[in-house]
Amino acid sequence: MSKESRMRATVNQKLTEMGERERLKELLRAKLTECGWKDQMKAHCKEVIKEKGLEHVTVEDLVLEITPKGRALVPDSVKKELLHRIRAFLAQHAT
Amino acid sequence: MIATARVSLTATRTCPDNNKLVAVTTMSPAGCPHVNGFKVDNWKQNLRVIYQCFVWSGSAETRKRKAKSCICHMCGAHLNRLHSCLYCVFFACFAKKHIHEHAKSKRHNLAIDLLYGGIYCFMCQDYIYDKDMEQIAKEEQRKAWKMQGNTVLYRYTCVCVWEKYSTWEPTKRELELLRHNPKRRRITSNCTIGLRGLINLGNTCFMNCIVQALTHTPLLRDFFLSDRHKCEMQSNSCLVCEMSQLFQEFYSGHRSPHIPFRLLHLVWTHARHLAGYEQQDAHEFLIAALDVLHRHCKDDNGKKANNPNHCNCIIDQIFTGGLQSDVTCQVCHGVSTTIDPFWDISLDLPGSSTPFWPLSPGGDGSALNGESHTTGATTLTDCLRRFTRPEHLGSSAKIKCSGCHSYQESTKQLTMKKLPIVACFHLKRFEHSAKLRRKITTYVSFPLELDMTPFMASSKESRMNGQYQQTVDPFNNDNKYSLFAVVNHQGTLESGHYTTFIRQHKDQWFKCDDAIITKASIKDVLDSEGYLLFYHKQFLEYE
Repeated sequence: MSKESRMRATVNQKLTEMGERERLKELLRAKLTECGWKDQMKAHCKEVIKEKGLEHVTVEDLVLEITPKGRALVPDSVKKELLHRIRAFLAQHAT
Repeated sequence: MIATARVSLTATRTCPDNNKLVAVTTMSPAGCPHVNGFKVDNWKQNLRVIYQCFVWSGSAETRKRKAKSCICHMCGAHLNRLHSCLYCVFFACFAKKHIHEHAKSKRHNLAIDLLYGGIYCFMCQDYIYDKDMEQIAKEEQRKAWKMQGNTVLYRYTCVCVWEKYSTWEPTKRELELLRHNPKRRRITSNCTIGLRGLINLGNTCFMNCIVQALTHTPLLRDFFLSDRHKCEMQSNSCLVCEMSQLFQEFYSGHRSPHIPFRLLHLVWTHARHLAGYEQQDAHEFLIAALDVLHRHCKDDNGKKANNPNHCNCIIDQIFTGGLQSDVTCQVCHGVSTTIDPFWDISLDLPGSSTPFWPLSPGGDGSALNGESHTTGATTLTDCLRRFTRPEHLGSSAKIKCSGCHSYQESTKQLTMKKLPIVACFHLKRFEHSAKLRRKITTYVSFPLELDMTPFMASSKESRMNGQYQQTVDPFNNDNKYSLFAVVNHQGTLESGHYTTFIRQHKDQWFKCDDAIITKASIKDVLDSEGYLLFYHKQFLEYE
């Protein structure tokens, strides 16, 4: 594992241990709902389901279809805030 | 494990290994036949353990374990949609197909998504929905969330919900009702539902204007439209029931003006001082109405509130704030603090007989709320700054100081300890002093968005601790408010008329003049004189 991925793993461990990961997830959920991202994704999912047909579509199909769009549509302000919070948390709990 | 399944041939998948078409069962809420192989022995408890330890870890212990052990057994990554095998202790990536390899080689056909708790069946090649498993998942998620509740850092304010927010699922009874009432209303941006005129029953515009403001208070509307009032009053003089009826009338879709004679009668019954056909003060009506609703609501909580300051009725949840009063002794500098509940903030205006200190331009508050002093007009923020400034009580109003054990001169300062969800500002335009009775018509400019941070007790504390340059946290949205209703008074003290501007669909404003509703511009609203200003917290979170 590269140094970067090891660091990622350590950060993830710390966040999970302290329960911060769950809290950040909830915050992210709220932010993405507020800015309309969730509704956009929902609409896109409906389109994909229409395309592929309700009987044939799988969760995997949806994940593959909407992941790139979803990642691109996250507002910069949300990314900024999450990053800010993670930094603040790590600064607080530096070992 | 090969199960004999009733395979419906209407669904096919392409098997990724050999590109052949495979017949699979169509997804149904009854899960898939392969899951039955798992449901043996003590499967429920085993599944619970998996949820508790690796999906939704509630306790510090399980979180630690999850942090350490939840990595892919093949590549060590913790990302890539980690899944856990349901038949053995094996974690692997989904995105990199590591878990697929395990499933194939060990013939363990079920896995659980460690992020969202979904159950994946490798035979059906999709996530399955099994009622029993979903039930367990929901319970474990709720449990874990409750456990974490005590250490939540992001403060969530309660609005009748004390569980983690989850999407609404109808109960059996609700499904029945939905089936029996198939008519659905679609709310588009130009639909006028919620707008309705009110007939003036003889100088009752003071009541009509407040009713318009209340029926357009989002949280109050949601409370009544979701039938949350369960009446325990024996007589039919419950004002809360009447409010509920009023909301039904307003959101019925009828466009003809409503005649609020029952409401008027109930108001006369419960607030005698407002009875009669004379024009009354809209602000007085608002306070009286909130008071009666609060009293009638107390029966809602099952237990009668013993402490009137700690009622949890909808009125208190929405409108009640806490005003902190600090009296500082000028000799020993000891501070005596009291906190009183409030439903509104009454602000003195320049030109009134009470001295309105000339405030230096700028300073905190005005910069934050984007106002300039170049025009010379008084702003709402000016009034709030005056309201929260320290006031020297003078030698004729000495307070007994518990520190000095004698009467001393002191200063008094008011700040906001707790902000209500709906903040109502009352501009004191009507003066009833011994010498004169008059209306102050000075224009006070008020903003569309208001940040109450400078007027909070916590801000004052940091100022006192020497932190003059208060770093405003751009991510703290707790004190941000949006204007949603303005009550105006036209005319004189003796004869006047009340109207209300209300906000609909985020950016549309309407003027309510008794029975007549007309579209208004934001400029109309902000240019108006303003008597009662209703602001709503911008961001609400669930507890």
